[in-house]
Amino acid sequence: MQYIRKISDYMIAGGIGVMVLVSMQGCDQKDENKNALADAAKTQGALVIVDESATGEYKIAEEYPSSTTRVIVRKPDGSERILSQTEIDALVKEEAKKIDNNTSPLTNSNMNSGQMGLGGILLSSIAGGMIGSWIGGKLFNNPTYQNQRATNYSSPQAYSRSTTSFNKPMSTSSTSSTTKSSGFFGSSSGSGSSSSSTSSSSVPSSSGS
Amino acid sequence: MLYVEKIKPLSKEFLESIGFYWHTDADQTSYVVDELVLVSTAEVEAYYEAANTLYDMFVEAGQYVIDNNLFHELNIPFNLVELIKNSWANDVHWHLYGRFDFAGGIDGKPIKLIEFNADTPTSLYETAIIQWAMLKANGMDEAKQFNTVFEALKENFKRLVVLGGNTEDFAEYYDGWKILFSSIRGNIEDENTTRLLQTAANEAGFHTDFAYIDEVGFNGSEGIFKGDENFEFWFKLVPWENIAIEEGDLALLLDEIVREQKAIILNPAYTLLFQSKAFMKILWDLFPNHPLLLETSYEPLKGKKQVEKRAFGREGANTIIYDTDMSVMAKVEGDYGNFKPIYQAYVELPKDVEGKSYQAGVFFAYEACGLGFRRGGLIMENFSKFVGHRIKD
Repeated sequence: MQYIRKISDYMIAGGIGVMVLVSMQGCDQKDENKNALADAAKTQGALVIVDESATGEYKIAEEYPSSTTRVIVRKPDGSERILSQTEIDALVKEEAKKIDNNTSPLTNSNMNSGQMGLGGILLSSIAGGMIGSWIGGKLFNNPTYQNQRATNYSSPQAYSRSTTSFNKPMSTSSTSSTTKSSGFFGSSSGSGSSSSSTSSSSVPSSSGS
Repeated sequence: MLYVEKIKPLSKEFLESIGFYWHTDADQTSYVVDELVLVSTAEVEAYYEAANTLYDMFVEAGQYVIDNNLFHELNIPFNLVELIKNSWANDVHWHLYGRFDFAGGIDGKPIKLIEFNADTPTSLYETAIIQWAMLKANGMDEAKQFNTVFEALKENFKRLVVLGGNTEDFAEYYDGWKILFSSIRGNIEDENTTRLLQTAANEAGFHTDFAYIDEVGFNGSEGIFKGDENFEFWFKLVPWENIAIEEGDLALLLDEIVREQKAIILNPAYTLLFQSKAFMKILWDLFPNHPLLLETSYEPLKGKKQVEKRAFGREGANTIIYDTDMSVMAKVEGDYGNFKPIYQAYVELPKDVEGKSYQAGVFFAYEACGLGFRRGGLIMENFSKFVGHRIKD
């Protein structure tokens, strides 16, 4: 049965699922005129969901492009916690120290990756690359790190999903000098397909069916 | 009989924080009901199978319509016929998503297809996100829901590139093609439904952007633009028949753009065949007495309770329910009276203890992927409510 599964809830609802969780935990900035979906579609950051096992090991369960970078840790009992920026910074700083001392499994292949702490897991994620970018070449050009990354995801699928959704080329725009027609269904024409002309957001009438 | 359970509702503040602004109807009642329909796994499986079976039947009947030139019978505007044929003929015009509306299935009665909203279906946000959030907010097992709508959409966006191939190979074949998402300015429900789809495409790995339809530039030989940026794909949450009837010049431009292979439009023009309620008559001709279908005719049925609908009516408008003696049982006025009428055998919708009727909506994106319910009177219309569901076993 493909549609009823015990899978990560975030996989069902993606980055929006995480947005729902963030809102439920009251961590979001309230802004009257904000279009949360318009924000969700912007992708300067990443949302990372980390699973903690009963034995204290961490794996990246899901990772999505997102407007802001957020890390959610899911405990063995299923409860979820959003890491604060201070916690993230501290974790990354701590891992950076280990990298310098060559005691991080991220860069030292003799270390057991099972000992990878939350900081190490975070730096394996794409979000980690963003928040830990100051570590720079120490990490990203290191072959151990490159090998290690894929194994820190909960499944090959989770890794594949992550890389696919972050692999978007920032394509260049092709320009055209030809004349284009526009203004169709413009607000002035009054011919909107919307069955209601009301500007109220509360009436569920739309072009849809 | 259908059973519902009361739950703690999601607050308006919460709903707005996740972009769901159409939570209150004009009469100030909540559009999302604070109850869940209880369904069994077997009932969910039956809905799933029904939608998948019907989609195959739609495709077969679509080919029949094209082969026999039945566009007029379906009330298809003449200026879209070539575009429909063109989009049908080529696999790259991939059908992104649609929604089947069903009677039965939850009350011990057989599932019957009422119609297929194949072009611009809404209640997407409610089905994919809101009802899932309701389970989550009430501490219920969120996997106990027939709802992989968002994931299925992501997968189907990938199929725009891999087509029949493995969606895992998307990154390998994706070459930077961009999707522009558009809706009409001034309707937040349309806009956020569109942005939800944009988010799914984004997560699938596409480069995307959004522009209101009045901002989009069209050139027959060059394609579709936002400013000077050219887009290979264009998603429009605007019904094809509205483009044909209200913006004839745009229909001509789109016809040329598709013919010149300058852009692919989502949902494809051929979804208008499926969208036409007159298509139900074609299905009945091809699959007479099929258990999932209701008898449908272009003429009033003889001596039967029946429903008169218009080929491209929306939100229940211009719908009349007749009793066996053709006396009117229920009627909703509307603006779609110029479209062709069709007559469909009446079937009673499942009812709860209070006598309210429920219509099941099953989303389809390559396969059936999610269930949601509309609740109302005899005719589902603009003031029908959305009711989420939970699998009880």
